Amino acid sequence: MKREQKAKATNEFNQVVMGNSLSKDAWRRLRKNKMAVISVVIVAIYMLLAITAPILPIYSYDEIVNEHQNLLPSLTKTSGELMWDKKLSDLYTQAWRQNRLTVTDAENEILEAWVLKGQATKVWDYLLEEGNRQLAEGSFEWSAAEKRTLDNLEKKIASDIQITIQKVWQTNQETGKKINISKMAVKDLVQLYADLLGVPTEPIVTQYTYEITESVSKEIQAEVTDLSKEEYALMAEQRLSDMSGKDYDKLIKANIIAKINSTVKDMALYELKSDASQASTTYPFDKEMSITDTVSASIKAAKMHDRRYYLGTDRLGRDLMSRIIYGSQVSIAIGLIGTFTSVLIGVILGSLAGYIGGKVDYFIMRVVDIMYGLPYMLLVIIAMAIFGRNILNLFFALAIISWLTISRMVRGQIMSLKNQEFIEAARSMGASTGRIIFKHLVPNSLSVIIVFSTLRIPSFIMTESFLSFLGLGVQAPFASWGSLVGDAVGGMTLYPWRLFFPAIVMTIFLFAMNFLGDGLRDAFDPQSKNQL
Amino acid sequence: MTKYIVRRLLGIIPTLLVIITLSFFIVRVAPGGPFDTEKALPEVVKRNIEAKYHLDEPLVMQYGRYMFDVLRGDLGPSFRYKDWDVNFYIFQSLPNSIILGVIAISIAILFGITSGMLAAVKQNTWVDYLSMALAVVGISVPLFVIGPVLQYIFAMQLQWVPTSGWFTAGDSWKTIILPAITLAFADFATIARLTRSSMLDTLRSDYIRTAKAKGMRTSLIIFKHAMKGSMLPVVSYLGPAFAGIITGSVVVETVFRIPGLGKFFVQSSFNRDYTLIVGVVIVYSVILVFMNFIVDIIYSMLDPRITYK
Amino acid sequence: MSKKTTKQFDNMLEVRDLKTHFLTDAGIVKAVDGISFDLKQGETLGIVGESGCGKSVTNLSIMRLIPSPPGKIVGGEIFFEGQDILKLSESELRHIRGNMISMIFQDPMTSLNPFLKISTQMIETICIHQDISKKAALEKSIDMLNLVGIPDAKSRIHNYPHQFSGGMRQRVMIAMALSCEAKILIADEPTTALDVTIQAQILELIQKLSRQLNTSVIIITHDLGVVAGMCDNVCVMYAGKIVEKAKTEDLYAHPAHPYTFGLIQSVPRLDKAKNGRLFSIEGQPPNVIDLPPCCPFHPRCEKAMDVCRTQYPPTKNLGEHHEVSCWLYTDDQERSNG
Repeated sequence: MKREQKAKATNEFNQVVMGNSLSKDAWRRLRKNKMAVISVVIVAIYMLLAITAPILPIYSYDEIVNEHQNLLPSLTKTSGELMWDKKLSDLYTQAWRQNRLTVTDAENEILEAWVLKGQATKVWDYLLEEGNRQLAEGSFEWSAAEKRTLDNLEKKIASDIQITIQKVWQTNQETGKKINISKMAVKDLVQLYADLLGVPTEPIVTQYTYEITESVSKEIQAEVTDLSKEEYALMAEQRLSDMSGKDYDKLIKANIIAKINSTVKDMALYELKSDASQASTTYPFDKEMSITDTVSASIKAAKMHDRRYYLGTDRLGRDLMSRIIYGSQVSIAIGLIGTFTSVLIGVILGSLAGYIGGKVDYFIMRVVDIMYGLPYMLLVIIAMAIFGRNILNLFFALAIISWLTISRMVRGQIMSLKNQEFIEAARSMGASTGRIIFKHLVPNSLSVIIVFSTLRIPSFIMTESFLSFLGLGVQAPFASWGSLVGDAVGGMTLYPWRLFFPAIVMTIFLFAMNFLGDGLRDAFDPQSKNQL
Repeated sequence: MTKYIVRRLLGIIPTLLVIITLSFFIVRVAPGGPFDTEKALPEVVKRNIEAKYHLDEPLVMQYGRYMFDVLRGDLGPSFRYKDWDVNFYIFQSLPNSIILGVIAISIAILFGITSGMLAAVKQNTWVDYLSMALAVVGISVPLFVIGPVLQYIFAMQLQWVPTSGWFTAGDSWKTIILPAITLAFADFATIARLTRSSMLDTLRSDYIRTAKAKGMRTSLIIFKHAMKGSMLPVVSYLGPAFAGIITGSVVVETVFRIPGLGKFFVQSSFNRDYTLIVGVVIVYSVILVFMNFIVDIIYSMLDPRITYK
Repeated sequence: MSKKTTKQFDNMLEVRDLKTHFLTDAGIVKAVDGISFDLKQGETLGIVGESGCGKSVTNLSIMRLIPSPPGKIVGGEIFFEGQDILKLSESELRHIRGNMISMIFQDPMTSLNPFLKISTQMIETICIHQDISKKAALEKSIDMLNLVGIPDAKSRIHNYPHQFSGGMRQRVMIAMALSCEAKILIADEPTTALDVTIQAQILELIQKLSRQLNTSVIIITHDLGVVAGMCDNVCVMYAGKIVEKAKTEDLYAHPAHPYTFGLIQSVPRLDKAKNGRLFSIEGQPPNVIDLPPCCPFHPRCEKAMDVCRTQYPPTKNLGEHHEVSCWLYTDDQERSNG
């Protein structure tokens, strides 16, 4: 009601007089900025993809398929067809080298030139086309060995099945009731596994005891270095005996269930590959299969080489699209959380320095000065190299060095604000220092902080990618934009898509963030237009 | 003025001490020594080696010894490569890095200021849009993307320049083009944007209006009146620019396989070659700190309002 | 180049129906909306009004120094010695700027280039328009600084602006503006940024020098006291328009426009200080964006009539050089027509 009245207020000249809040005004200006609006949309799409990555219909980012290494990106062809093409062009190239596949002299010259320049992909593409043509015409024939290779490949492409075990049940023979094995007791599980393999339980117990001790010892090795083997063994023993029976059972259960799953998988595969089954099954399917009389499993199966890689695969045969999406998740998360942490540290220290002044200010600012003088990127590199390359360390290393600028900025803002009347007023009413800082001063510097943070995110992402590129950041099997580009640089002559797709995805996001930051700055502070 | 310079020079000392101390201790407290190899060394051998490098002494002793050596200009022996001094490695690779860095920063300053000024003077024309588009690319695209992409296009596809190599190692001088451009790109972009915005700010200032009211020609106004004032932010950016060049050279030297200090640095980080890491960091820091010092002096000479108290 | 035209014109400067508009996000700001005035040789003209009424824009328009975009001179003519400034080429314009018409700006703190020595800035002013050596120009600059009363000018000329106080800087500005013997001096609120004691000195200096050099002066101010002491004629501006134009004594004796009346009333006077409150004009000057056709002063005017709300009043001549735009001075016939 009141708001409506306010909106309609006019002066004597019939001019609408309306008080606009700063944020409302800024929003209006931002909406006028086309680039900024497009950027908002792009950033939103990225965020959405990164958040929904686990439920998107994409392949796993760390699933290695050996036959699918370095497959070309293709919208239409399945991986089987791509493998087939690859094999063909390999064989044609071989045949061309052996002068069995003959081309004209002019063509030969071009091909040789390509070889000299290291542009192998062009040679392959050309020979594939030429070979297929000659094969159709009948002027070229495969040798017996080649034919055999191709036949084998064809069969393999047609028959290779990829299955995932989702659940395994044991059927109680008396009651006919099915029990999920994850809910079974350790003793029953061991018995079940022994039955599956057709062996007594003792060797299984010895096996898992050994494996668990080993894995605990590995854990310790990751935590403490510089010990002898005996000492490690001793510590592992200690840790295991410290463990409660329940925890130890959990370890055993995980170990046994993994083993059962893999056995069931092997058995199901064998079943599916048997001739009788092959004719009657249609892929992909998702159904329950009985493995033995007592054990059944819910199984998801698909033809391995029916997979499609829209953005190709990497050097280990992992789906590049999925890696890029999961990589975006990591990169964006580091950008956001890192920025948040550094802004938090910077705002707190900066506002304390600015408001309290005196010795506190002097001390904080000297620390900032000295840290500014440090070649901090190098220190981060050292830190990452030495303290281990995991994401948590990366966050930590980046956050400690990146609060400097924001703290200086906030300090300046606060110093200029703290002598204004409204702060005097708050102080005269007995507001505490903390209240004045966080209720009056910080909110009034918020626009500066928001703009800075937005511009900070891309630089954070860049720093993270920089480290990952050098191999000091995110470690395999995780990916980030930087590590994807870093992995691709080596093979970029032959597999340029591995470089270009992550690079493009990363660049678009950084562009969008920069435009958004610029737009926000112009919106919040139109006076400083074109400023950095 | 002299007093100011001396005072600034003295101010450098604590910064350098902090850097040396910090990198020394970060490296020493780190888990995993340089002699942790796959196969365990016999205890005696290990002890001998540790004695040779004084690793068996208390940390404070090691620190004191190291500080003393550094002050004499001796960065100690390499932990990894036997019989070689850190000094030897640094002197071997530093010149390459310096050549690359100097060329890159020159490109960045020269083209950055030129295109920034053109953009400001011809605001809202295609010159402005083009140079700002280029600058946005430089700011948004990390150099480890720019480098490989340039390499792919100009070296592999167009074959205008060699893919990698280095001219001091007997390769063509052309090997320096791509690395230098890659390294210069980010700083070029920032300098261009800074120049443009500070130039626009200056051109809007009262004293430029005064100069116009005097009847001066625009070109004279820009070079005589606007230039000096609008260069101040650019000069103060040069400090971070040098830092960026040093950091960037680590990547560029890796991508283009240049035998420079940056490549060494990455290698020694992976190898945990304590003395080499600390040595490289000290060299980088000295360069950086002195560059900042020179930038400060230039700044104070440009701006008459700064007093040397 | 340096030879100045000797031909005498009745009016040094004639401004006819000048319109300067600014394009902003919110709409078109008609900062100056059709004003006309003349300036004779040796005359001192005052332009008075509240801040934002278009005084400064008027004078920047005369020099064609309106920052464009967003500003644009959309109409009118400005004749200087018979030639229309708005139609001159860039190089012809440079010959006028600083040489024929020179300006003193409001804020001496920012109007001098902080990075260049005073000597550099003064010498360049002289060398642009006069064909003399740098040494001679330096001599002349020192003379000018002496003239404006800068002590120890010979050595101070090599200082930077920040080494001068505000008043001294304004003196330097005046010296610089007069160093080419310009025919017209435009002083845009020359004393606003200065202490009261310095104000009087600066104004006196301008007056003295303009008499000495027979320079025509336009003084822009919001201070009626300044006008009373210095000007021969006064224009009162309100919301981009001149509402009253008269000889100074005339204006003070018989203010015709209610706004002028209010302005004069609101000057604090020592002789009346004890018996009553200070007079003030209620309300705020209007926002000049998309102003409807009306007298912009009507909401603040005690004598407002119905016609004031719908129509801008015509300009009436009330006798010798006294013009006013107000419906009070029209007859019923005109009002009903309006």
